[in-house]
Amino acid sequence: MASPAPADSAHFIAHKGKFRLFGLTLDTCIKVFFGGNAVVSIIVLALITIFLFREGAGFFGQNRQNLKVYREAGLEYVDFIRAQQDDHTALTRYLSDLRLRQFQHFTQHQHLTPAAANAALAGFDEFAGQYGDAVEPLRTLVSDLTEQATAIKERFTVMEDRKTERAQLLAAGKAQAAAEVGITPVDFVAELKPILGTLPAYREASADLAKRLAGIVAAAPAMPTPELQARLDRFRQLTAEYLAGFPAVARNLETWDYRRPVPATQEFSAFLFGREWVTASFWQDWYGVIPLVAGSLMVSLVALVLAVPLGVGAAIYVNQIASPWEQRLIKPCIEFISAVPSVVLGFFGIAVLGQTLRALSQQTWLAWVPGFPYSERLNILTAGCLLALLAVPTIFTLAEDALNNVPRSFKEASFALGATRLQTVMRIIVPASLSGIISAVLLGFGRVIGETMVVLLCAGNRIAIPDFTAGLAVITQPVHTMTGIIAQEMGEVVQGSIHYRALFVVGILLFFLSLAINYAAQHIVRRYRISIG
Amino acid sequence: MADPTHHFQARPSALRRSESAIFWLFRGATYLVLLCGAVVFLNIFIKGLSTVFQTKAPFVNTTFLTEAPESLYVFEWQGKKMEMGDKEFRVFKERNPAAANVKSESYVYCAGGIFPCIVGTVLLVIGSMTIALTLGVCAAVYLNEYARDGTFIRFVRLAILNLAGVPSIVFGLFGYGMFVIFFGWNTSLLAGWFTLAFMVLPVVITASEESLKAVPKGFREGSLALGATKWQTIRKNVLPYALPGILTSSILGIARVAGETAPIMFTAASVLRTQLPWQGLTRWTDFFFQGVMALPYHIYVVSAKIPQNEYTERVQYGTAFVFLFIVALTAAASIVLRTRLRNRYKW
Amino acid sequence: MESTAPAPAITLRPLSAPAAIPAAPGSAVAPAGETLIDIDHVDFFYGAVQALHDISLHIEHKKVTAFIGPSGCGKSTLLRCFNRMNDLIDGTRVASGTIKIRGIDIHRPDVDVIELRKRVGMVFQKSNPFPKSIYENITYGLKLQGVNNAARLDEVVEKSLRGAALWNEVKDRLHTSGLGLSGGQQQRLCIARAIAVEPEIILMDEPCSALDPVATAKVEELIQSLRERYTIVIVTHNMQQAARCSDSTAFFYMGKLIEYAPTRDIFMNPASPQTEAYVSGRFG
Repeated sequence: MASPAPADSAHFIAHKGKFRLFGLTLDTCIKVFFGGNAVVSIIVLALITIFLFREGAGFFGQNRQNLKVYREAGLEYVDFIRAQQDDHTALTRYLSDLRLRQFQHFTQHQHLTPAAANAALAGFDEFAGQYGDAVEPLRTLVSDLTEQATAIKERFTVMEDRKTERAQLLAAGKAQAAAEVGITPVDFVAELKPILGTLPAYREASADLAKRLAGIVAAAPAMPTPELQARLDRFRQLTAEYLAGFPAVARNLETWDYRRPVPATQEFSAFLFGREWVTASFWQDWYGVIPLVAGSLMVSLVALVLAVPLGVGAAIYVNQIASPWEQRLIKPCIEFISAVPSVVLGFFGIAVLGQTLRALSQQTWLAWVPGFPYSERLNILTAGCLLALLAVPTIFTLAEDALNNVPRSFKEASFALGATRLQTVMRIIVPASLSGIISAVLLGFGRVIGETMVVLLCAGNRIAIPDFTAGLAVITQPVHTMTGIIAQEMGEVVQGSIHYRALFVVGILLFFLSLAINYAAQHIVRRYRISIG
Repeated sequence: MADPTHHFQARPSALRRSESAIFWLFRGATYLVLLCGAVVFLNIFIKGLSTVFQTKAPFVNTTFLTEAPESLYVFEWQGKKMEMGDKEFRVFKERNPAAANVKSESYVYCAGGIFPCIVGTVLLVIGSMTIALTLGVCAAVYLNEYARDGTFIRFVRLAILNLAGVPSIVFGLFGYGMFVIFFGWNTSLLAGWFTLAFMVLPVVITASEESLKAVPKGFREGSLALGATKWQTIRKNVLPYALPGILTSSILGIARVAGETAPIMFTAASVLRTQLPWQGLTRWTDFFFQGVMALPYHIYVVSAKIPQNEYTERVQYGTAFVFLFIVALTAAASIVLRTRLRNRYKW
Repeated sequence: MESTAPAPAITLRPLSAPAAIPAAPGSAVAPAGETLIDIDHVDFFYGAVQALHDISLHIEHKKVTAFIGPSGCGKSTLLRCFNRMNDLIDGTRVASGTIKIRGIDIHRPDVDVIELRKRVGMVFQKSNPFPKSIYENITYGLKLQGVNNAARLDEVVEKSLRGAALWNEVKDRLHTSGLGLSGGQQQRLCIARAIAVEPEIILMDEPCSALDPVATAKVEELIQSLRERYTIVIVTHNMQQAARCSDSTAFFYMGKLIEYAPTRDIFMNPASPQTEAYVSGRFG
């Protein structure tokens, strides 16, 4: 072959006749196809956002309306007075507590029979009875007003329903039928008049209450011990504070104006900072997410307090201390635990753990534990223990990975300097993998706070902010959670109602919370990679 | 000094003692975790055994495994305590007219079996894993074989990571909002499939990518150097070697899909359906648009919606046992197969 | 391709009189002869890092050309340019200059890289037989081209294995896994696989670096016999190997071509002091 043949030179020039689709070669088409699949995850994430907002966004408008009706129908006005009444009720509870303490004192320290103790308390009972009865005029007033306000709200709701009906008929092209739907507009001015007209009656009732309470408290019977006396003094002080609040209530009532617009931020703040989640109530629905967030956080906190030491400890043990056969045995076992479906764990909580823990709490030798004994079988502690079992495998696996990624040379260098195994683990290995461990804990937190079935079954489902004044005993209270409320109420709500949308907004909150946790975990890991170099 | 000591002799010291104490603490933590897991397992296995198995032949409680749930009636009849399922009770009343007004206590779901739940769960798993594997493997092929580092890929990876962290109940809400309401599929098998598939997608993608990465670079280079196109290389020289790994790792995804309750609560699960999914269809497409019973949801229903007593305990533990058994079996299979595969393929 | 051209010398006789060889980097020097690969002022980058600086050289038809130089000098990079394997690595590019094979610029947009790779075979540093049978390994490339005729495949398998001096060792176990062969056999299998598609050029990227001396000797023998039919470019760390097998040798250092000359000149009479230092083992 003396010279390159021209025919040969064309060997690797592309043939023009190759298969093409939209000007793309077959290989490009395949690449585009696979690329399309990769985009699916982005699309899904976008769709989640879109559909959560699609269903949830309407909530804020409806909540605004909800709050507006609350004001315009005079419910807010009535609630001022009701709050005054509720505060009084709280004070009477203080008195019953005081009575119980006296009773215990008489029976346990003075060894009186219950009958004798009750006799000794006759004076106190009379005092407490008077104190309780003093609010009666106010209570009557509140119940009257409640009825009137509810009636206004009811009329308003009917009107709104009619409007919707008419709009639907019009949309369906039935103008005739639409015109027949009678709408009676609610004249709030006229409707509110009787309610506002009760102001003098309120003043009278309030002044009467103030006078009577002051008199009753002044004549309170003496307590048997200084400790109880101090409590009574505290009660006097509380009553005085209570009475001092009366003028403020009166001022609120006088200046109250149903026309005052609901501020635009309130529909958000009422949700984000609302302390009450009340639905399907005859009086007023509140969609405040704080009790649910508090519940979720408390349960997660208990779970993490249990799971972090166990998970990280187990990771350190398996990775650094355990013998090879232990490693081979333990790792699959812990992975295996992660496969236990959460609903099974929840069932275990209901069927076994709840009762066991309660029985344990009632042991006398454990009475020193805060919150023990308790009677609610399903509470933060029960759910927390089970969630810990769910979180341990997550934390364990990720923390073990992090420990594994510490270069061997670190360990060898430390040993070569005469460090013991513990010193090497604690001063070299754990610090070097700390950010990995922290991100493991964060992801464990994400797992726990997003968990539904365990909390739905075992957290007790009482919608209330846990009473933090109880100190550590707070963990024995039942709560409801963000995930639990969605799972529980979603099946029962009317599609498109404010309640339905509120649940979607809780979902949005949960979604962004989990994204934030994920972001934090990734951020920490990324920084850690750089630091290892 | 009387006895000759040397420099390197081990000496007992406070350091040594505290070290061993701390090691025991770590060991204790590890075994405590294992113990807790074991307690849960054993409790459900032991109590569930009595429902699922019996001492008489055929030793397996076939009614429980092959029939639909029904209400249990407990009543006294001629001085004897009788327990009957709904159907049986009706027949009994027809035969004994005197029993028509007998006072009975009823317990829902406590008689019959859980066959429709098993069927429903199997259907949900098959459908959603098919969707997830198709999407996931293709996505992983793109990420590992075609993609070059860039903003787009970073976005995709970020999306996958974040998708993995989204709570399952949010997937449930999303599936409800999109498939059930927007697409108008109602509570249906199809809606459940897609919801579960999207939920498990990150698991499948990650597993598939790991398996693809394990195929040595030499296989690709060798093939390309022989003039194979990219697709020929992937099809003939990459995917066949990655596929076993992809499938075994994805079994863990199956365990997840089968185990989740929250995503199917509003998208696919029915509380009670007496007909099996393939019965009573007017058109074949109806198959996809029907709700099904599912084991996890059934456990939720029987543990949350009915009180606990000796009669309900049977169905509760029995269902939990069957469910845990299925899930544990798939998970164990995945773990064992994966270890084995790692040892077998070393190139 | 039965060549009627004068049989190449088996000895390391330079094909032309040793001309005065300028040692400056970038010198386009070729021992006289028919040029097959023409590299013209190539600059190559890995991202922002320049791996090749202004390389120019001509690779002769049906000769063995060796690239030597210390690690990281760019010799493998240049080799992988010839069949555009570098395309697979992100961020790589030929910034300037051209590589022509038979006068065709291989970076021309209408060049089909797949066709290019069929003509330019490659053997890798680490033997990479596919986890298939020996037979399937050899026929892989042909099947890609749509050859399915069993008789023809059998024929090619035998011819390639004979060509790779492996036939006698494996003829009884053609259908066992290629991974069951020894390291040297695996590498020869890879060579057989490469020649089965009848390329014009075979690129060898340190083919013996993972082999023991006996296996290395066999592969070197094979290279000697292949030179009659193929143009071979071999990257090697082993200077003795370059001296034994090649007709011409190019010495690279720090991404630059320092010297390119008939092999004997490089080893006996290097023009550049750096080359001399390297071949005499003073660095590298």
